[in-house]
Amino acid sequence: MPKAIKRLIGLSCLLIVISMITFGAMNFLGDPLFNILGPVAADVDNPDSVKIIEEAKAQYHLDKSLPERWARWAWDFVQGDFGVQFSSSGQPPVSNLIKERLPRTLELMAVAQLIAVALAIPWSVLAASRANKRTDKVSTITAFAFVSIPSFAMAVILFYIFSIRLDVLPDVYNATDSFWGFTHDHRLIQLILPGFTLGLGAAAGYQRLLRTDLITTLQEDFILMARSKGVSKRRVLYYHALRPSLFSLITLLAINIGYMIGGSLVVEQYFRIPGIASAVVEATLREDFPVVLAVVMIISCGFMVFNYLADFLYSVIDPRIRTEKSGQRRKITSMGM
Amino acid sequence: MSHETETPSTLLKLDDYRVGFRTERGLAKAVDGVSYELNSGKTLAIVGESGSGKTVLNRGIMGLLGSNINESGSVKFQGEELVNTNRQKFWGKKMAMIFQDPMTSLNPVMKVGKQVSEPLRLHQGMSRKEARHRTVELFTLVGIPEPSQRFDEYPHQLSGGMRQRVMISIALAIEPDLLIADEPTTSLDVTVQKYILDLLVEVQKESNMAMTIITHDLGVARGRADEILVMYGGRVMEHAPAETLFNEMAHPYTSALLSSIPKLDDPKHTRLTPIEGFPPDIVDGPDGCKFAARCQYAQENCLSELPDTTVKGDHSYACFYPIGTDEGAKAFASNAERGHTAAGLKIRAKEEVI
Amino acid sequence: MTDENHSPAEPSEMEVSEEHEHDEVSATEAGLEESGFAEKKKIGVGFWIAASWLVLITFLAIFAPVLPFKEPNQNFIVFEQKENPITGKIQDRPVQPPYSPNGDHWLGTDQDARDILSRSIHGARISLAVGALTALFGIVVGGALGMIAGYFKGILDKVISAIFLVSLSFPGLILAILVVALVDRSLITISITIGILAVAPIGRLARAQTLSFAEREFVLAAETLGAKKSRILVRELLPNVLIPMSTLAMLVIAIAIVAEGTLAFLGLSVQGSSTWGKLILTGSGLQTLESSPWVAFAPMGFLFLTVASFNYMSDRLRDFFDVREIFVTRD
Ligand SMILES: Nc1ncnc2c1ncn2[C@@H]1O[C@H](COP(=O)(O)OP(=O)(O)OP(=O)(O)O)[C@@H](O)[C@H]1O
Ligand SMILES: [Mg+2]
Repeated sequence: MPKAIKRLIGLSCLLIVISMITFGAMNFLGDPLFNILGPVAADVDNPDSVKIIEEAKAQYHLDKSLPERWARWAWDFVQGDFGVQFSSSGQPPVSNLIKERLPRTLELMAVAQLIAVALAIPWSVLAASRANKRTDKVSTITAFAFVSIPSFAMAVILFYIFSIRLDVLPDVYNATDSFWGFTHDHRLIQLILPGFTLGLGAAAGYQRLLRTDLITTLQEDFILMARSKGVSKRRVLYYHALRPSLFSLITLLAINIGYMIGGSLVVEQYFRIPGIASAVVEATLREDFPVVLAVVMIISCGFMVFNYLADFLYSVIDPRIRTEKSGQRRKITSMGM
Repeated sequence: MSHETETPSTLLKLDDYRVGFRTERGLAKAVDGVSYELNSGKTLAIVGESGSGKTVLNRGIMGLLGSNINESGSVKFQGEELVNTNRQKFWGKKMAMIFQDPMTSLNPVMKVGKQVSEPLRLHQGMSRKEARHRTVELFTLVGIPEPSQRFDEYPHQLSGGMRQRVMISIALAIEPDLLIADEPTTSLDVTVQKYILDLLVEVQKESNMAMTIITHDLGVARGRADEILVMYGGRVMEHAPAETLFNEMAHPYTSALLSSIPKLDDPKHTRLTPIEGFPPDIVDGPDGCKFAARCQYAQENCLSELPDTTVKGDHSYACFYPIGTDEGAKAFASNAERGHTAAGLKIRAKEEVI
Repeated sequence: MTDENHSPAEPSEMEVSEEHEHDEVSATEAGLEESGFAEKKKIGVGFWIAASWLVLITFLAIFAPVLPFKEPNQNFIVFEQKENPITGKIQDRPVQPPYSPNGDHWLGTDQDARDILSRSIHGARISLAVGALTALFGIVVGGALGMIAGYFKGILDKVISAIFLVSLSFPGLILAILVVALVDRSLITISITIGILAVAPIGRLARAQTLSFAEREFVLAAETLGAKKSRILVRELLPNVLIPMSTLAMLVIAIAIVAEGTLAFLGLSVQGSSTWGKLILTGSGLQTLESSPWVAFAPMGFLFLTVASFNYMSDRLRDFFDVREIFVTRD
């Protein structure tokens, strides 16, 4: 399939460019030597310091040109070596940090996306089946409201309602608790509040697209045909109409999975989840560039992978895509936040 | 399938049935007082130009028009009044419809076999295996080659003719008492058209169901339908047993329609005479006969008065100046004399006067 | 919107089947509605309600210093006659803030007894300024790049489109954090950082619009009359590109306000002044939230109304002008 390969190459190029920009920006805007050594880095008159500086430069290849350093970093990266953290207490490899924190963020995002999709589908079906009736209008306004609540505000609202007022959901996240289980001492339950914080807004976004697509599908002749075959309304909605209406949802899902990291920055911070997003905030403040770079690359890779998967999903959903290109298309653009 | 005896029983009876769409401009009277009866085991052909209300009439009978309509008059199906009731209980069991366009009427993301076996599974309690078996049987019956292979294909992999056959299989799977076929052959080429029409009629005769075939084409109706109903502007212009209609054609519209349409059995290069003008506005239409503006026979009263339906045995028509009567001949002669009709239409040079 | 130069990698712009004019049509009973007659497009009352709110809040924000609001940073400690537990004397003692909403402080005060209404209005100054600057930057830079790409085509178009593509694939918020942490936390830096992220979406729209208008008669006519290219760009094309671009810009303002709030919530926004995000953060701790929820919820109300208004107006306008780009607002 040459088209798929072409796309793969394109995506890889994109990744390379993104890494170059991030790498360049951090070396331009920041001062890696200072970040490694602290004040010593500026102490160029002291011969002891100079020696340390020279050593550090050699160790981190800071004496090389920027392109060469990028190439070294890239070569290591594809081999799974993300470099070492800049920190005062030794230099633990970045991959340790990632290994420890990425799963937590992935769990959070999985819970959030599950909530979002599980809410969005019945919600859209309900709204589309009553298009322009009262129910639909109310649901459209609700969706609008949810989309307009930023995740930090949503976090505060949900925390206030469910944790403080109703006191039904835990607000502490404990990374050492086991995941699977249904008490407050399991991370699954601890992730409900953060999950809804991310999931409600996402659900509203999905609903807006899916409802629109469903309404379009519901006007097709084959829906009427299915009804005239004596297929119940419910079955027509979920079995006949839903699948051909899933395109935009999948597109948005792919974009969102990549970018939900943005939302999880706030959520991890607010609910004290030591995930990868909070790692990146901490690392940025400490100017711990290898960590930032690694996280940016992981997010971008995730983004690319999901976009690639989405292409594949389209053809699962619609057999026509496998053989021909279907008519007019529409675009979904995101600003990446 | 009807389990009734051979004695013809009235399956469907319409009385002054009307359907109006509520639009911004007002009520669009797509069906404007239609009455007829259809017996089990009989085939009715509904003929008319595009926009004459054939599809709306039949979707209306089926109850497939949604809620944005005004419905009045009476439609009795097996003695039960349907107008303004929910017809869901008949769908997939007693009524079935073959939709006009096989390209858009099949679910593009569902295997065609599944689409046929769905009503079997839902309403006839068949297991998956039984349903598949029956579907393949139906595919064979309607002449789909390699039926068991086709079962797992998607609509876009089939040609137009094959898709239409799939549509027919769906209708047959339902084994309805009333089958409505909405222009089942428009998109197909001539040989396939014939095959499919004959197939439908054959199955209909065998299973003693009642069938309505909708078509533009009087030729299609001839020889296949027991009765023909000619529609225009949502109204019945003429209704008669098939042969009567061709032999004693009374309505100028029927005649104009016949000469405007290429017939399946025509020799090549037959001259066609299109009907001049356009169908009437159905929201704010003419007061008199809907066809008056385009009729070669039109007189002043045609423009202001609605003609009553004249019933002669099983032949009925709605016209003041029917063909083959003195009034008709006089009306045409007077129009020919002044060179135009009462509506101002120029009279064509003359051959089609009987 | 057409986009001929589909480059192989287009992650944030995948293609989905075209959206039709569906909203006017009701599709009840699972598709039992035939496509009805499309109503005339109306902008709706909601649009004007949203617009009124924005006019009001902008007016208040601009004139906050001269309007009779309380001093935003003043501590309005209330004293009451109480017995001093140590000396046993009755004396004036401060009441522990935050104070709940009352006749004096309509939206209550925060922990330092500062008036929340006044602080929210003053916070609007920063939040709206960030939004406006971001949109301005996005329109000027994105519009210029997009129009140049769309009008001159060729290599210029390839390069600019590639830049847009990379920018759209970037995890934007992380970039914003990085820049803000490394450069400074001034209003301008934050606005430009978020503005850079807005360049690509606005630019794409401008490019697509330019492409489609460049083929129209009035442009071709001007060309044959020998008008200069720059003149055509400004006189003929700009007016046509501006409307769709500004509908998108309203959305960009909403996104920018949210982004700024997010930065503020992470402790990374404009130094010294209080923005909505910061005000919400002040009230979002467990204790404050439990005892005095108004501290967080009052500024949140302002933020929500403003973001929702921009979102809604943009949505209505895009519908009205038929701008068919789906734009994702969520994180
Ligand atoms: N949903 C609707 N709302 C308003 N008017 C409609 C609607 N559906 C059909 N009509 C109108 O009703 C009239 C009859 O349409 P109908 O589809 O029944 O014609 P037809 O005889 O089936 O034509 P064709 O041969 O082209 O299929 C037309 O004027 C059409 O515009
Ligand atoms: Mg029709």
